[in-house]
Amino acid sequence: MKKMIALGFEGSANKIGIGVVTLDGDILSNPRHTYITPPGQGFLPRETAQHHLQHILPLVKEALKTAQVTPDDIDCLCYTKGPGMGAPLQVSAIVIRILSQLWKKPIVAVNHCVAHIEMGRIVTGADDPVVLYVSGGNTQVIAYSEGRYRIFGETIDIAVGNCLDRFARVLTLSNDPSPGYNIEQLAKKGEHFIDLPYVVKGMDVSFSGILSFIEATAEEKLKNNECTPADLCYSLQETLFAMLVEITERAMAHCDKKDVLIVGGVGCNERLQEMMRVMCSERGGKLYATDDRYCVDNGAMIAYTGLLAYAHGTSTPLEESTFTQRFRTDEVHAIWREKEELKKANGAVQAKMRCLD
Amino acid sequence: MAAQPKTPWEFSCELQVDFESDEKASMVYATLAVDKELQPDKVKRNMSVSDGKLSVRFEAVEARFLRASFSSFVDALTLATKTIEEFGGGMVL
Repeated sequence: MKKMIALGFEGSANKIGIGVVTLDGDILSNPRHTYITPPGQGFLPRETAQHHLQHILPLVKEALKTAQVTPDDIDCLCYTKGPGMGAPLQVSAIVIRILSQLWKKPIVAVNHCVAHIEMGRIVTGADDPVVLYVSGGNTQVIAYSEGRYRIFGETIDIAVGNCLDRFARVLTLSNDPSPGYNIEQLAKKGEHFIDLPYVVKGMDVSFSGILSFIEATAEEKLKNNECTPADLCYSLQETLFAMLVEITERAMAHCDKKDVLIVGGVGCNERLQEMMRVMCSERGGKLYATDDRYCVDNGAMIAYTGLLAYAHGTSTPLEESTFTQRFRTDEVHAIWREKEELKKANGAVQAKMRCLD
Repeated sequence: MAAQPKTPWEFSCELQVDFESDEKASMVYATLAVDKELQPDKVKRNMSVSDGKLSVRFEAVEARFLRASFSSFVDALTLATKTIEEFGGGMVL
């Protein structure tokens, strides 16, 4: 039987990416283009949408060409419905609606957060981990339970990546390839730890106060030569990541899971991975993480997650192919996970029956 | 406009694109109709297709709402049209 193939579009933030993926998780192509702003500046919805407008059609061609597939080979067209910035999200939605009519292919709307999780699972082979999803727009601790990815803890204000990005702007670090990467490199040279607020509230975290504090401290201490930018990056990373490890560990205890999967753009930070790995090994579990090819927003993750839903009978009529800035992870019915669980349970029952025979 | 009884929809403009094909015009119509105006109490948008042409009429209570709506609509319309131009004629690898 022919393998099912999906084309996926991601453009919820400053990256526009198109991926071609098969149902068993083979990534046939996954080109992406990032909107990089000058040092000291963030990306705004309108300019970001303009960037996506310019790059989306050449990327579709590149994705098909690299994958060596024609529109005929494609089973469904998947796009990010949300969460994300409105104007950039609309770019993918419009192209997918036209292509769906031109090529007579069904549309599948995908939740961006769920796509990160499924991509992480298929790439690393993590079966049922606690997921830490950390990026420029999201910070959530998630675990699967009864048909949905449930949020056990999250940020109550800004995302951890947003905190890092905005601090990079204070230091006017380059946004190429990403502000977080440049903070990570600079942090390796840090020598002195500066005490920062540590804000864990139950299962939730808060970063905006830490950002305000370090913004003020940075100006003061750098002026008086009391510390270096490297010291500040190092201290900020240590503090933020310690908070994330703490709430992840508590979630593991709550849901009795041993393994952790880190996804999202901040997930490629090796210091975060190292801290999490230590915690996991102390609990007899394992850390699953990926590099920037899969962690950072990309089209393949949307294609793969959409294809999972499509293979289980889900698709989105054209009239309903909207986009939305708010779309919580636990709104999605992860029907493919239910089937997996069912299969596992059946397997266990059969094994038991064989034992009884 | 001035002679008519005063309505709050004081500002309006119209746009017509000739696709020379009902099929293409309808595709663009169906694509753009999905996204509703974000502030229906401030801007109204009406679209129709006939003779291979897509006609759009905007009405707004203030000029700035009209401008914002119109401008983002044109971006979307351009992208939809370009997509048809690039991929409408069949694809060769």
